[in-house]
Amino acid sequence: MAGGLFNSNFVTLSSAMDASALRHRVISQNIANAETPGYKRKEVVFEDVLREALSPQELRIKKEDPRHFSNYPENIEDVQARMGSVRNTWITNDGNNVDIDQEMAVMAANSLRYQTLARLMDQNIVRYNIILKGTR
Amino acid sequence: MLDFMDTVNISASGMTAQRFRLDVIASNIANAETTRTEEGGPYRRRAVLFAEAFQNAVDELNPPDVASLAGVRVARVEADSGPFRMVYDPSHPDADENGYVQMPNVNVLREMVDLINAQRAYEANVSALNTTKAFANAALQIGKGG
Repeated sequence: MAGGLFNSNFVTLSSAMDASALRHRVISQNIANAETPGYKRKEVVFEDVLREALSPQELRIKKEDPRHFSNYPENIEDVQARMGSVRNTWITNDGNNVDIDQEMAVMAANSLRYQTLARLMDQNIVRYNIILKGTR
Repeated sequence: MLDFMDTVNISASGMTAQRFRLDVIASNIANAETTRTEEGGPYRRRAVLFAEAFQNAVDELNPPDVASLAGVRVARVEADSGPFRMVYDPSHPDADENGYVQMPNVNVLREMVDLINAQRAYEANVSALNTTKAFANAALQIGKGG
């Protein structure tokens, strides 16, 4: 789908929306386990990986053989959100490190981000409709 | 692609767990003066233990991924082994020869604090559920040209 009629906006936006939905699921899991002894809060890493994938070509390691390792994801479709646990902090005596206020704040920010992305995706489709029909 | 219903289920499991905790706290408060039980002796305070829930088996070799998250579950309900309160009341039917009655090891003040905690945790889960609904609504608006 990349290039040609449909540029990678669709791919970038949909993977960003997927990452945002995934982050929301992980935040929901953190909130559900706010009182579970020994639970460690989980986090999603996506934006940093995506930024690397979109970074200029000259910052990448030159590859002369397809078997060489790369320091960046090859294309945007390969960018996957990753989940990890924060293991080295404690909030309560039972080993739980979910800070409910922080989770609520991150959830609100993430919700705004998702709705912005959905709006952008919508506008993207509207733009193609204008081109295809010559009118809205 | 993620299914929003799975995220809804995570928040629902949190709400169920907190509601169960409220039930146990209510039972503790209701039995704060109960001196006779099925097991014999006064009522013992009960505590709910939560554990993280997954949709499939998770161990060191199979770390949890996003698709396996399933919220929280009640691991078990444990009786508090702490000492009973000794109250001097010679007229009580269950008083011993020195006039002392063994009362349940329920501290009503502590139960009230737990109650507020459970209520706040429940509300946090409701809030997460509402945000999931906003997500789904935003996704449904795509293509409508809004």
